[in-house]
Amino acid sequence: MQLTYLEAIRQGIWEEMDRDPSVFCLGEDIGIYGGAFKVTDGLIDRFGPERVIDTPIAESAIVGAAFGASLTGVRPVAEFQFMDFIGCAFNQISNMVAKTHYLWGAPAPLVLRGPSGGYVHGGPFHSQNPEMWFVHNPGLKVICPATPYDAKGLIKAAIRDNNPCIFFEHKYLYRRIKGEVPAEDYVVPIGKANIVREGRDLSIITYAAMVHTALEAAEVLSKEGIDLEILDLRTVSPLDREAIAQTVKKTNKVIILHEHSRTGGLAGEIAAIINEEAFDDLDGPIVRIAGLDSAVPFSPPQEEHYLPKVSDVIREARRLKAY
Amino acid sequence: MAIKKKSSKHSSNSNGNRGRNGPSRSSPDRTDLRTYSIPDTRLEHPDLTVRQVIEKDKDGAEHIRYEVTGNLNAPVPPIRDSKYLDKKQCIEIYRYMLLNRKMETALENLYKQGKVVGGVYFGLGQEACSCASAYALDKDDWFAPMIRNQGSLLVRGFRASDTMMQYMAKADSPTRGRDGTSHFGDIEKRNMVSPISMLGDLIPVMAGVALGARLQGRNLAVMTYIGDGGQSTGVTYEGINFAAVQNLGLVLFVESNLWAYSTPSEIQYRCKDLAERAIGYGIPGVIVDGTDACQVYDAAHEAVERAHRGEGPTMIEAKMMRMKGHAIHDAAAYVPKPMFDFWKKRDPIARFENYLVKEKKWLTAKENAELIAEVERVIEAEREIAVNSPMPTPESAEGGVFCEDGCHEIKPKYGMPKVKKGTGGFKETEAAVHLK
Repeated sequence: MQLTYLEAIRQGIWEEMDRDPSVFCLGEDIGIYGGAFKVTDGLIDRFGPERVIDTPIAESAIVGAAFGASLTGVRPVAEFQFMDFIGCAFNQISNMVAKTHYLWGAPAPLVLRGPSGGYVHGGPFHSQNPEMWFVHNPGLKVICPATPYDAKGLIKAAIRDNNPCIFFEHKYLYRRIKGEVPAEDYVVPIGKANIVREGRDLSIITYAAMVHTALEAAEVLSKEGIDLEILDLRTVSPLDREAIAQTVKKTNKVIILHEHSRTGGLAGEIAAIINEEAFDDLDGPIVRIAGLDSAVPFSPPQEEHYLPKVSDVIREARRLKAY
Repeated sequence: MAIKKKSSKHSSNSNGNRGRNGPSRSSPDRTDLRTYSIPDTRLEHPDLTVRQVIEKDKDGAEHIRYEVTGNLNAPVPPIRDSKYLDKKQCIEIYRYMLLNRKMETALENLYKQGKVVGGVYFGLGQEACSCASAYALDKDDWFAPMIRNQGSLLVRGFRASDTMMQYMAKADSPTRGRDGTSHFGDIEKRNMVSPISMLGDLIPVMAGVALGARLQGRNLAVMTYIGDGGQSTGVTYEGINFAAVQNLGLVLFVESNLWAYSTPSEIQYRCKDLAERAIGYGIPGVIVDGTDACQVYDAAHEAVERAHRGEGPTMIEAKMMRMKGHAIHDAAAYVPKPMFDFWKKRDPIARFENYLVKEKKWLTAKENAELIAEVERVIEAEREIAVNSPMPTPESAEGGVFCEDGCHEIKPKYGMPKVKKGTGGFKETEAAVHLK
């Protein structure tokens, strides 16, 4: 069936709650209201207030409670109204949740999920992509799906995983994209990237909303005879090193595209992986396309300037092709 | 909307279906005056105040120092008879308190011998609070200690060698060298959540443990501790408030030990007693003498019983003083000496010993001496085990970051939650939302 990205996530959570009574949700306004974006709409009617819990506005308490509950062997799915607010719970995630298994051997099967990303004029506190805060925290899995199929398959995989998973939903994609989602049960493995477009000239390594930006650019460039390969990482921690190396070995030229700020961004890490795994295969410099090193500005012309665009990808791909 | 009918049956633990806790109306004609009560079981109410003063040294240079004022010669209060503890239980708690102190003395010696990695944290003067609180828990209840609650671990069945090996960063320590002090846990047998160094984070975590257990049909008590320093953190507020609105069986000991590292409680908070904060959360708050094991136990026992009945959290403020520095490196020179003298007379072990031997005559002097000797033998044997454990290999720093396949089987500890499913079905939504 055709589902939006948002409905695919809801269906994934729904099916997991149906399948496993130990799965429950908690978060702000997720019950009767159904969540600020309506991802959890209808869950309370179906699964009851014991398993769909409205919480105070207290992100550290939400994560702490989810973690504590997970220690008793149940599987909490905690919503952040916006992923920007995950900073309020940073200590709980970084020092409590992420270090638990390494230090004292307790598994913490919990999911922290919520909307991230720009292109909706949300301003500096409702547009961020804070995944790198967690990529640099060993002990967490960080997931950023780009399609309805992957969103559903990955939320189900995250709920079934025995480790803390942070699931970044791109709010620009929530209702803008629809895709075919199978009716039968499936999961998408965490940590596996996916070639969403095969090509021979150069590779774009990206994820989340930027996959669609890259696909759009690829259509334009194909008319010029530039054939892009697009690798959708799907999971940004752990990274699929093998898939990254493979695409570079195939096309020998690579652009890394992400929405968050350039400095200390994921592109730097991927460039280092390419350096370690496929240096001799490179026929040109590794190119980064990323957000500016500033907060995400509010006004539409400013936000558009801050964020990567199709035209940026086209320009950089032409330049790299000619290198 | 899927449900239009209103149900008259509300379960007491579902979201949003409870009344608020509030003031009592002691005087029906004074509706403008609310009254709240904080029970206080102490047999004395020390009136000491610490403030900053300027002192001149012998060269005439001025220095800021802490000075204590108040009745420093007040008579030492007796131990209050417990409403619940019998002779055998009192002696057992006393033994744990002895173990606690002698374990820490052994750690101090190990430190002086250069066998400890890093520092040592002491619960000197707080043994009654650690031991008698944990003693009130049932086997299935959960707890999470703070750094000074090393006695709680002994009560819950951990060995002194566990803590000693943690301090010595040994391969056989509960964290296999990966962390020190009381920073370890056990979710299988002893139901202990590991503390982290940041203060207050355990409070929502323990609330979550109670939430997880309640989903599985169990009302458990979940006990943890916070100091008069740690309670200043925001997550403390978040955690207590979450436990309160969800009516979870949190038993929170606020250990008012007067010093947050070097900062006196006068600069940590403004209210008279931290237990008053319970009023703001809408939960019961009580004050006990933290140096009196019987008072600590009775308050803990009542809070644990409340938790088991599903009646929600309790805040217990235990008043005492930290009788050493923050850690072994800290001589606590900032504490006015008369304050140490005052609280030394209120030593929890010496007073409990006097209570058991002289007042109650539950132990003869000979039995007491034998008990002390037995505890010393246990600690010496534990010390031997700890000292003889090897250091971990360098390579053992690797691995275990994630729970990999087959590493843990995860299933609800108390049974699969009973599922009630409504009739609502999956539907597509096109609703007004934030930021389309």
